[in-house]
Amino acid sequence: MADAISPDLSKVDPVEAWKPWQPAAGEWNRKWIAHLFRRAGFGATPAEVDKALAQGLSKTLTHFMTGEADAAERLELLTETGQYYTEPVNLRVWWLYAMTEGGHPLREKLSLFWHNHFATSYAKVRNTKLMYEQNVTIRKHALGKFRPFLLDMSRDTAMLVWLDSNRNVKGAPNENYAREVMELFSLGVGNYTEKDIQEAARALTGWHHDAEVKTFEFNRELHDTGEKTVFGKTGKWTGTDVVKLCCDQDACAKFLVSKLYAFLVSETPPPKALLAPLADQFRKSDYDIAAIAKTMLGSKLFFSEHAYRNRVKWPVECALGAVRSAIAERIPLADVVDPLAKMGQALFSPPNVKGWRTGTDWLNSATLLARNNFAEKVAVGDWSRNGRPPRRPQFGFPAEPTSAEEPIVNTGSAAPPEAKHDICTAIYAAKPKDVAAVVKQMSTLLYGEVVTPAQVKKIETFLLTPGPAANATPPKGPFPKGGIKRFDLPVPPDEPPPPPKPVEKPKEKSEPPKPLDPKDVKLDSAEFKARVREAYHAMMCLPEYQLN
Amino acid sequence: MSTRRDFLKTTLGTSSLLAVGGVVPEFLASTACAAEKDEKPKDTVLVVVELTGGNDGLNTVAPYGDDLYQKARPTLGFAKKEVQKLDDYHGLHPRMTDFKRLYDEKRLAVIQGVGYPNPDRSHFESMDIWQLADPKRAGSSGWLARSIPAMSAKDASVPGMYLGNERLPVAMQGADGGVISLADRASFKLQLTGNQASRKKLIEDLNGDKDAGKADLASFVRKRQIQTYTSLQKIEDALREAGSSGRGATGEVINGRFVQRDPDDLNTLSGKLGLVGRLIQKGLGTRIYYVQLGGFDTHSGQAEAHANLMGDLSAAVGYFFNSLQPEHSERVALMTYSEFGRRVKENGSRGTDHGSGSCMFVAGSQVVGGLVGKHPSLSDLTDGDIKYHTDFRRVYATLLNDWLEVDSKGVLDDEFEKLPLIDRKKKAPAGGQPKPGNPPVFPPGVVPPPAVPEPVPPPPVAKD
Repeated sequence: MADAISPDLSKVDPVEAWKPWQPAAGEWNRKWIAHLFRRAGFGATPAEVDKALAQGLSKTLTHFMTGEADAAERLELLTETGQYYTEPVNLRVWWLYAMTEGGHPLREKLSLFWHNHFATSYAKVRNTKLMYEQNVTIRKHALGKFRPFLLDMSRDTAMLVWLDSNRNVKGAPNENYAREVMELFSLGVGNYTEKDIQEAARALTGWHHDAEVKTFEFNRELHDTGEKTVFGKTGKWTGTDVVKLCCDQDACAKFLVSKLYAFLVSETPPPKALLAPLADQFRKSDYDIAAIAKTMLGSKLFFSEHAYRNRVKWPVECALGAVRSAIAERIPLADVVDPLAKMGQALFSPPNVKGWRTGTDWLNSATLLARNNFAEKVAVGDWSRNGRPPRRPQFGFPAEPTSAEEPIVNTGSAAPPEAKHDICTAIYAAKPKDVAAVVKQMSTLLYGEVVTPAQVKKIETFLLTPGPAANATPPKGPFPKGGIKRFDLPVPPDEPPPPPKPVEKPKEKSEPPKPLDPKDVKLDSAEFKARVREAYHAMMCLPEYQLN
Repeated sequence: MSTRRDFLKTTLGTSSLLAVGGVVPEFLASTACAAEKDEKPKDTVLVVVELTGGNDGLNTVAPYGDDLYQKARPTLGFAKKEVQKLDDYHGLHPRMTDFKRLYDEKRLAVIQGVGYPNPDRSHFESMDIWQLADPKRAGSSGWLARSIPAMSAKDASVPGMYLGNERLPVAMQGADGGVISLADRASFKLQLTGNQASRKKLIEDLNGDKDAGKADLASFVRKRQIQTYTSLQKIEDALREAGSSGRGATGEVINGRFVQRDPDDLNTLSGKLGLVGRLIQKGLGTRIYYVQLGGFDTHSGQAEAHANLMGDLSAAVGYFFNSLQPEHSERVALMTYSEFGRRVKENGSRGTDHGSGSCMFVAGSQVVGGLVGKHPSLSDLTDGDIKYHTDFRRVYATLLNDWLEVDSKGVLDDEFEKLPLIDRKKKAPAGGQPKPGNPPVFPPGVVPPPAVPEPVPPPPVAKD
């Protein structure tokens, strides 16, 4: 694969790097498919992987560019429904729905990118309708051309509120938007002067929202009609001219390409020359976003170790990827909103106009823990049912053990999740014949490739070792004997009842249980499946899982 | 009261203590500890104490030397012989003995006449204004939350922590992933259903497989993961020590530290600050801690209630600083604030009604001690309230820039003139902190603080 690509990034020929990858027979495999789907979308379902494997790279990539056949109809429906929400949480669910069911993952993926690029927060805008409208504008241009995009964003009502545009008036310019449009939206630091900002602010005077804060309004009386000099060009510039002048700068293509590179390809800063062909293409195509994305995502460099797992997953990627890779039916997306905030990415609420701090900054003790805990939710299928909160008790822990050696046992794993949300459904879909096959399938679902042999061995040992599982040790102390609340919830008829006490019990507390012979393990037993879910969680706690 | 008790039961109870206890894979924890041993703690820490309900500033820093004060407060006013004298005009509440000591040690700044334009007398509105740091209340994220993205925290620790049982205070809201609340157990606990022991072991085994010396991204994440589990362990250890399963019995002193066995202690200010102190000493990288003390809405029968609160506040803060080892003490500053002050004139029920303008305290060994600003005039009032002269955001700006090293303009959206509150080069006063081997420091309530008898001058303290 990608044999022309040197392992030393500084030695990679930039022109060669961005040529389309032509995989030889067998090179187009699950690893690279998973890679592409993680970057171009929100991870792949098992069915999508199979389809991509059959179709090959070229068709798969084309499919990403166009979306599903009915993407246009879905978009219409989505756009229609989004406008009615009055609570940010509903708007968040709505967008998550668009990401997973909108029929056009790449469009939504780049919308997420642009949301971060044009970072606007509900925290100041305080209006779901405006946030919705901005989101629609972003979606419209996500794979379009950057010039009209930047113009629309400069006149977007939420943006006008966000960056105090109404304070920008003739005689007393407010430089907020003028600065951000250069520093953050088009050129990057170092590619403009303070004078450029001051002059551009004058040109933008009068670009206001109306009194009802509903729409853009050009306030002629407060517009400075005098001559301004921006980037050395003098004229009676208006806001439209500022946008044009920014896009005319050489720095614009370079800046946007390097941000797209970090998002789609790698977070390791590339040698300057590497991005030159991309910036060139982007400029010559008059900022065709779809085309540049396609070049990146289909390139030799993209399918090389320079890109593979060279990004930290954004929380949205982490959460939706986990869900899509192994859960057959859509989970209640409202259940994802709170975990996302804990992971540090509440949609529509980036921390400031610079957007989220990405890369390794995503990971601190609280956010990494939130990722581990979301993995638990996925692995044990802990979703709300019919609007009811998850059935697992929040405080279902037994009393403190008398000694440190005594295993802490929670009865939580006793009740299997609903089949449609059970990761075992996906794991068992391949009809594994033995424990090794189960591990291989888990690994494939999560990573598209097999984990290291040493890890495989450990997971197998775990699966083969009967633990003091649910109810094996009677709970002590204040823990209610009759069971916890979750048993009070109705159990769907098609679901097996909570399994009886496990057959295997530790004979002696002091002696750790021994692994069983693989022959003696019933792969279909509820107890084994419970351990499969636990092992799946552990595999999602690997560092590699946080990487995209 | 029930909510306070619930705090412990739902969040810090024994079940949660054990739930994480031992979750950290042994080798991970030891690796991380070894890595941290050499590093000296450097980051500054800000502890914010919210006095909920509107603290009566006039009876906190009493202008006892002013006849107008005595006239306006016929039953509540403090006489010269009662106050903890700061000078011949100002005196602290009689129960604020520890604050007086901190003041004498030049570790306490008393900022007078703090407020904001067009004061709002609604608890809710005014609290929002203070916490959003915006009299217009335009945004929805708190000032501390806004400062977090610009803040560095050692070992990827969580920059902000709220200790309490209420909703996350507005000041801390909006920093997704940058703040944890001890009221929300899930935010600091690894959730593992089923057989925790073997699951932990599997996570440990799988993660321990790799060469930790590699500098690639996965190694970085692995290190973060270890730090995460270590941080959790530190929090749990601190909770355990503060709660019911530490060594020793209540009243015993172990390693120079007073043991508090009653878990309800964590519902007191001194208990909460004690926990903060433990977390700081464990080297948790958290930069901002936020605690609350409620009950300041003293419309009637103020004298006793307010005296108890002032006593609690003073003793808890005094105990907090005393229990910190010098190397940690010098990187801690503590700030108190309340949503508003109270009317100058007491009301007919021996209480006071909502007013405006009040005082703030900033304490710490690198704090420039003393009175900051004049006491607002009692003869020049607006609607029966003193006039503020110092915008509270000047205090915030000072702490952000000079203490937390965060650009205050980015947080407060405006430039505010700083106050002379912080001196980073200041040497700790010799008598300031207990040295190892000093007699143990007792928490509030155990040993009644000795009253300073009148007319003896303040006890001699070592000054530099």
